[in-house]
Amino acid sequence: MSERTAGSEMPTTGEPEEKGDLISIVPEPILGPFRRSWAWFDDRTGITGLLHSGLYEAVPRQGGWAYTLGSATLVVILVQFFTGIFLLLDYVPSVSQAYTSLLYLRTDDFFGDWIRGIHLWGAYILMLLIGIHALRTFISASYKKPRELNWISGVMLFFLVLAMAITGAMLPWDQASYWTAVVVTNIPHYLPVIGNGVRTLWRGGDFVGPVTLTRTFALHIWVLPALLLGLIGAHLYLLRRHGEFGSWVNYRTTTDNPEKEIAERIRRAEPPYPTRGAEPVYSVPSETVDFFPNQIFKDTVVSLALVVLIFVMGALSGAPLDGPANPATLTYVPTPEWFYLPLDQLLVFFPTVLVGLGVFVIVGIGATLMLALPFLDRNPDRHPIRRPDVLVPAFFFIFTVIYLAMLGVNRLYNL
Amino acid sequence: MQHLILALSPTSVPGTVLTNTVLVGVVALLHVLFATFLIGSCSLVALSELISMVTHDERHERLARSLVHAWGYVFSTGAAIAIFFVVFILVGLWGRFFVTFQQFTFWVWFFEALLFVGEIVLLYTLYANWERMRAYRLARLGMVILLNIDQWFQMFLIDVIASQMLTPTVQGATVNMGYVLQFLNPTNLPLTVHRTVGNIAWAGALLTATAAFQYLRVTRRQEAPALVPGRREPVRALGAMPEGELVRERNREAAYWDWAGQWGMLFAFGLTIIQIWAGYSYAKEIQLHSLDSWYQMMYGWISNIFLAQFAGLGLIFIFGVAFFWQRLKAAGQHVLARRHQMLLGLLVLLWLFGIQPAWLAGSYPDIVAAHLAKPFWDGGLEDPFGFFFPWKVMVLIADMLIALYAFWSYIRARVRTPMTMGQASRGSQRLLISLAVVVGLMMLIMGIIRESSRSPYLVNQNIVINHQVILQQPAPNIPLSQRPIGP
Amino acid sequence: MSQRGISRRQFMVRGTGAMAGLITAMLSVPAVGMLLSPLWQATQEIWVTVQGGPIDDIPENLPTARIAAVPLGFGPSTPAVNRVVYVVKTGGQLYAFSNICTHMQCDVHWEPSLDLFECPCHGGLYAMTGRNVGGPPPQPLPQWVHRTYQDAMGNTYLQVANRLEEQI
Repeated sequence: MSERTAGSEMPTTGEPEEKGDLISIVPEPILGPFRRSWAWFDDRTGITGLLHSGLYEAVPRQGGWAYTLGSATLVVILVQFFTGIFLLLDYVPSVSQAYTSLLYLRTDDFFGDWIRGIHLWGAYILMLLIGIHALRTFISASYKKPRELNWISGVMLFFLVLAMAITGAMLPWDQASYWTAVVVTNIPHYLPVIGNGVRTLWRGGDFVGPVTLTRTFALHIWVLPALLLGLIGAHLYLLRRHGEFGSWVNYRTTTDNPEKEIAERIRRAEPPYPTRGAEPVYSVPSETVDFFPNQIFKDTVVSLALVVLIFVMGALSGAPLDGPANPATLTYVPTPEWFYLPLDQLLVFFPTVLVGLGVFVIVGIGATLMLALPFLDRNPDRHPIRRPDVLVPAFFFIFTVIYLAMLGVNRLYNL
Repeated sequence: MQHLILALSPTSVPGTVLTNTVLVGVVALLHVLFATFLIGSCSLVALSELISMVTHDERHERLARSLVHAWGYVFSTGAAIAIFFVVFILVGLWGRFFVTFQQFTFWVWFFEALLFVGEIVLLYTLYANWERMRAYRLARLGMVILLNIDQWFQMFLIDVIASQMLTPTVQGATVNMGYVLQFLNPTNLPLTVHRTVGNIAWAGALLTATAAFQYLRVTRRQEAPALVPGRREPVRALGAMPEGELVRERNREAAYWDWAGQWGMLFAFGLTIIQIWAGYSYAKEIQLHSLDSWYQMMYGWISNIFLAQFAGLGLIFIFGVAFFWQRLKAAGQHVLARRHQMLLGLLVLLWLFGIQPAWLAGSYPDIVAAHLAKPFWDGGLEDPFGFFFPWKVMVLIADMLIALYAFWSYIRARVRTPMTMGQASRGSQRLLISLAVVVGLMMLIMGIIRESSRSPYLVNQNIVINHQVILQQPAPNIPLSQRPIGP
Repeated sequence: MSQRGISRRQFMVRGTGAMAGLITAMLSVPAVGMLLSPLWQATQEIWVTVQGGPIDDIPENLPTARIAAVPLGFGPSTPAVNRVVYVVKTGGQLYAFSNICTHMQCDVHWEPSLDLFECPCHGGLYAMTGRNVGGPPPQPLPQWVHRTYQDAMGNTYLQVANRLEEQI
């Protein structure tokens, strides 16, 4: 068969039965030189072996749609990087020129406004995606041994993305952005001892000014992205090392002799299974398929849908640009972005002496609990119904966050 | 039509303002107890059914079934009360207010009535056919969820009415500002969430009290068998179970009621933690939009009743954690029980600190007028540690965190350690009953506070109670700066 | 190897560590210094006159918002920034409040219907004297460092410096 000979030069690790049909439709005289160049390149780099071990590794067969959220998050982050670079072509991080440079982007650059809209809606969709991705991994108990570090790196990624969102919001230097800068740079001063120092460092002085903008710009453009990329690399490496867990539905036993069934699964497991360190019943999914093209197809469908959504929202709704920053306003109501509304509403409840408690202690406790989750929940069971000790508090937490956001909207609407 | 209504003389209705307000209060509060239980228990039925479908736990199935059976008599009684309320008290005694008010909230009442019809259909169908539908559990569950949504919307619509009376978006002579504004008036959302959460908490409380009663009944010490004069053997009723089976049956029943009591209690206790957020934001909106009502509640004579609410809240947590302590002790989990005992001690201390009044008199303006607005150690009638800011707020935050931790700790113990049902001490069951009583009392008192704080208005700034007069222009609030508000 | 002194291997390991540490330290000194420089920067005190004319005509017990073009006094030179000065004459005293809320530094405004300064962000309330009377703000409304002067015709003008009386 022609497909067989076409693949004969490739190394045979994890040989798939059927090669992708992408290249077999191109006629041989055109394909020949490309194939030879690829072989030359591959001899010197070994890249095909790498690709194979990446593309053809095993993932659980059932429920793949639920596991597309992680890759969708990565794709949206990449969209943000991409559009961010293009915004850099116009934006100037100066208090007198930031606003006018964005006006220029909006009016004179082809699709400039669309790029900015994609960047904003990409951020919104990203926040939603991370929330749903975290919820999915939480419910399916994918954070349990040996994947604790995966969860922890994920939570830290979440914090980094939040920081990216808030520093990005401080850049346009319109009304919304200026007041965001004032409020956000003010928050650290509630820390004991070092608080005022941190605020001064970030602002460059007592008040928000040009130094604030340049420092925030540096944070947003390279400090946070460097940390983000590093952590994403670690997150992905850990995922590859332990294999995709999936959820409890992938580990059900159907025979009368479950131990024998599990032992058989372990015997026939393909890399990266069996997951070292996991309990035997959860070390190998009952059925696996190749990552490419099965899971990647689903990942691509979801990513495509989201990218289309972001593009459409970016075009329809765009990114707002209020009037230029005016510190002397008496009527402007500084309003945080929707994903910061719960925290903002929390600030309403803590009076005078307790502001620091609300700002740092409660948030700190929440962040610590999120990070420490794999250590708090050592129950080896992975079925959600048998884990009410984490699901019920999680329900409370999510309900409270949503309720706080609704209260915030209600309060701001009725001002 | 409106001028006809306005021409009606409210002085021709029977009774006095006092008796008519008391009547409204009594009937409305009765309605509240019934309606909230129905909505809350519907949520509990849906949840219990769902769990039983997934885990095949027959206790959950039995619980759902018995709650649905209770609906029959609860709903019929509650609906009768509600209809009596509307037809005779609202239209009859408060007709002028009601008809005028209805003129700008017409569609709200209309859809409410429509949903009520839907509830009658769904609820009675489920009640009559619960057993018959056991082969179609998913459909049955779907109907329960539909019923719950219907009931929730009824509550939402009545919340529009209630919140309109407290923070109206109408301008004098009942000029309506538009339907969206009506629905989104400042206190509607906090009230709705407060009630959504409270419904389930109350249903859980009633469930736990019922279960506790039954447990106490089932575990009564074996009474001395009745002896008929002349017979040697004890008399037993015809068809009664043999001794051994009776004990096993009793144990099975005890296990069930023990389990049901602690399951229901988790809702009453856990959801009360959320109520603190809801209540605070509710009060904040009232402060910003109906200052008179807020001031009456926090500084006027009603503040003393509000203090009772504060005490009740603390008691809910105390009874709850005390129950956890006792229940874990009875299950042999002594380390965990000791932990809960310490939490209980903390809660009691916080409660004792939190219930001190800020002024030892009827209301704050009273002591300001008498020049006694200084600490009692300076000869005045003020207690600075009793003020809401920041002392009681700190107590509330501490209460919440402790209750959350105790709640999580108990659920974890249920999951991770073996706790045999049926072992609960009788004292712990009495704690459950006390918990339910406090929850119920708090609901009643909250209703009284809310309605009284609005006086002398029926619709704030727009319609007064006395003679049901409709103001042509909304009356302004007295600004906060002109009222005494403490140190 | 001999017992005195260290081996070749140990020398190389330790030497590498020491040199790497030296490079790091060398890099750090200017970098950290530059990062922390705002902590040691002194703000130049500059006085400006509040715009809108003399303050004699401002009535008692009515907070009046005026604008002052206040220069930052630190950082790269930029134009002065317009800031609000709330001039209040009450109880025989003159106040020159900024409208910076002491909670999260949102813009505070005088709300006549409440007879109080109100912050829209979280419902903070301040009395006419600046005292925080409601909501979360932990400190009273801060005043600008201010002074008055009289011109030749007896009109009183208000001047503010580019700093607040208390740190918020």
